[in-house]
Amino acid sequence: MILLLQAILSGVLVGGVYALIGIGLTLIFGVMRVINFAHGELVMLGMYVTWLLFVKLGWDPYLSILAVAPLLFVWGAVLQTTVVNRVLDALPQNQILLTIGLGLVMSNAVMLAATSDYRLVSTSYSSASFDLGGLSVSYPLLLSFLVTVAVTVALYLFLLRTDTGQAIRATAQDRLAAQLMGIDVRRMSVLAFGLGAALAGVAGALVAPTYYIYPQVGAAFTLKAFVIVVLGGMGSVVGATLAGVLIGVTESLAAVYVASGLKELVVYVLFLVLLLVKPSGLLGKTRA
Amino acid sequence: MISLERPAVRAALRWLPAALAVTALAAFPFAVTKPYPINMGVVLFLAVLMGSAWNVLGGYAGQYSVGHAAYFGVGAYTAVLLFERHQVAPWFGLPAAMLAAVLVGVVIGGITFRLRGPYFVLASIAVAEIIRLAALHFRSFTNGAEGFVIASAPSIHLLGVELSFGTKRSFYWLTLALAVAAVLVSRAVLRARLGYLLLAIREDQDAAHSLGIGLSWNKNLALAISAALTGLAGAVFAGYTRFIDPSAAFGLDVSVRMVLVCLVGGIGRVEGPIIGAAILIPLEEVLRNPGGLETVGLLPRGSELVAFVGRWISPAHLLVDGLIMVLVILFAPEGVAGLLRRLRARRRESAAAAPSPAP
Amino acid sequence: MALLEIQHLSKFFGGLAANADVSFSVEQGDIVGLIGPNGAGKTTLFDCITGFHRPDRGEVRFRGVRLNGKSPDKICKLGLARTWQKVRPLARLSVIENVMVGAFARTRDPEAARAEALEQLRVVGLLPRAAQAAGGLPIGERKKLEVARVLATGPTLLLLDEVMGGLNPTESDEVIELVLALRKAGLTFVVIEHDMRAIMRISDRVVVLNSGEKLAEGTPAQVVEDRDVVAAYLGEAP
Repeated sequence: MILLLQAILSGVLVGGVYALIGIGLTLIFGVMRVINFAHGELVMLGMYVTWLLFVKLGWDPYLSILAVAPLLFVWGAVLQTTVVNRVLDALPQNQILLTIGLGLVMSNAVMLAATSDYRLVSTSYSSASFDLGGLSVSYPLLLSFLVTVAVTVALYLFLLRTDTGQAIRATAQDRLAAQLMGIDVRRMSVLAFGLGAALAGVAGALVAPTYYIYPQVGAAFTLKAFVIVVLGGMGSVVGATLAGVLIGVTESLAAVYVASGLKELVVYVLFLVLLLVKPSGLLGKTRA
Repeated sequence: MISLERPAVRAALRWLPAALAVTALAAFPFAVTKPYPINMGVVLFLAVLMGSAWNVLGGYAGQYSVGHAAYFGVGAYTAVLLFERHQVAPWFGLPAAMLAAVLVGVVIGGITFRLRGPYFVLASIAVAEIIRLAALHFRSFTNGAEGFVIASAPSIHLLGVELSFGTKRSFYWLTLALAVAAVLVSRAVLRARLGYLLLAIREDQDAAHSLGIGLSWNKNLALAISAALTGLAGAVFAGYTRFIDPSAAFGLDVSVRMVLVCLVGGIGRVEGPIIGAAILIPLEEVLRNPGGLETVGLLPRGSELVAFVGRWISPAHLLVDGLIMVLVILFAPEGVAGLLRRLRARRRESAAAAPSPAP
Repeated sequence: MALLEIQHLSKFFGGLAANADVSFSVEQGDIVGLIGPNGAGKTTLFDCITGFHRPDRGEVRFRGVRLNGKSPDKICKLGLARTWQKVRPLARLSVIENVMVGAFARTRDPEAARAEALEQLRVVGLLPRAAQAAGGLPIGERKKLEVARVLATGPTLLLLDEVMGGLNPTESDEVIELVLALRKAGLTFVVIEHDMRAIMRISDRVVVLNSGEKLAEGTPAQVVEDRDVVAAYLGEAP
């Protein structure tokens, strides 16, 4: 029983970060209908920036978020304006190939700059944990989860209460109608991609203390992010939040009850089942 | 008297350039014996084989699989396991590899062909990843991350002659023959009824459906052909490099390269994989191993260019792949073959008065 | 036995009845017009007949064979074919290749398919365009291409979905002549149309749908006088 609760707890904590990644991806898809297969590489970039700040300036990873978020936001905006914007009307297959290419460029550029050596961000609390009613709670995971909650709440407030946020939601709902209402949809696309990248980067900063950092680490995040986005419904921020936690828990349970080496495989198998049975996800709007 | 009017003569003339090229390629190893270019030949011919295989499903039927490594790896592991564990000669190992790949393909097709467009792409990637993770995990079956090293080279007896698979040269001719065969198969499919049906499915699935074309049946047929050829490539590759492990077999970069070869050359065209491989493979091999240019005398020993490339580009040569992919999709999604076609059409347009067909 | 029998066919999407208890039959050699305001369920009915949707209630019988649940390709091979409201050319293929695709429903041999395609192109008057890419054709010729292509499949019964939409009067007349000539050659038709002139000219009978239900059935003259039909169309520009 304890084992089950422990697995669920760890899963929820990790799931929060997954949710951040998924929310970023679903925002990008919602506003631009673009399938960003380079999303994991954006997480990877966040991890590397965090590591650099840690190693060169001694910054605590949670502090790095203040730098990572704007940096990745700008990078995302640049990517959107220079490359992604040109394929908004291309075949979805071509969009995926394009973003796969972008991902390859990013991960290999990092490999050139920093080599494939595994990097670590070992803080004093990287492996610390405390006891909660017989369950072991990992400090970094808990902190990440709390930051994730804070960021998600801030994001919701932004999307629901501010003019820009509502403009983004309008564009996601109906691009043409939004244009007719005078919303600058190009600007919304840039914002969405920047936001998505920033969220991915923040997720990278949050997991940096507990993950090995290497150039190819993004790949697993990308596929997982897609599972989350499809599960939550493409375009639904709330859906991605819930799905992120669900996937975190699923992975954790799989690690305990199936085999640690197969935990990702279980998630991908569920992905296939999901695509076949209910591709619009738990809360999603079906797209043509 | 050999007259140009006779169709047989005209047909022979049409095949002549290709026949000459293939003969020249086949004669190459007698003239040049250095391993570097021979190796590049093997890699290039394998790329033509794999590209042509992908083209049948992706280019003709329009089903962009970015998980074809699944078939490549299944073919590789089947041949290797049969050889290492049961001493099955390649004579049987290669067909077995193709069969295994087809079986896996039918299962995967059954699952994924219900999905359309980007969902199909995502599912194909997920499937390849699932197989890769399984290969990593089930060590007793696949040796896990260690993979297999093939100690002794197999040989086959053909017409009383023993062909050893130990030399690069024999693989050069084998892969050249397979590449030619793959191109011929690809061309035959396109000109047969199946080709038309696949193109129809690519252009508009529902319209094709309403015209009496069974979607499942034809997509699976295309997949079977595609998977068989890809599995064959995997088995030959494993025999050539004498090594296989889950990431070499099922890695995303294998899948991406197959797509890229067709993308650069021209998706959906028979000559696409040939052009794409001819451009990409030399580029990649030189970037990956610039020292080879020195060994063949194209660059002086100790060349600074070689040192520069070796230091700064080789470890991340996939970056060039990624860049090419981005640039091609942005500026030439129809590939080189498509560009040439458009150029030719525009020249015809300016020459003639009447409007010419759309590219 | 009628060639095509629709019996109490209903199709629901969510809670909405796109088709509600529709029944009528089509005899060999008929041309039946299917009319109704936008959203009446005409195309949905075609989709149900040709296997793109499965009827929730009722039956479709073609030559006595029950079509419910059969896949579209099997239905085409049985001899029941359709065109599309929004034309669907196989854009990157040439005109003749498009028609050959249709011909391959009947033959395995590329040469035979090519010969059949040339014949159908001659029938609709598109032979000069044979080598052109289908995507580059103007709308009138695209419609003709769609007809030639579906004729190549060798149908007994042809469902035409607004084949005259977007055509100028000359082109419409050509299509009307074509349909009448094909009927003389033995084909049976169900034709969805908004062009009332065309409907009046070619239909033996007309079925009127409104909001999913069959509103009226009769000769063109009868239907045009029917008060319910007139009321349904009032305010609707055909």
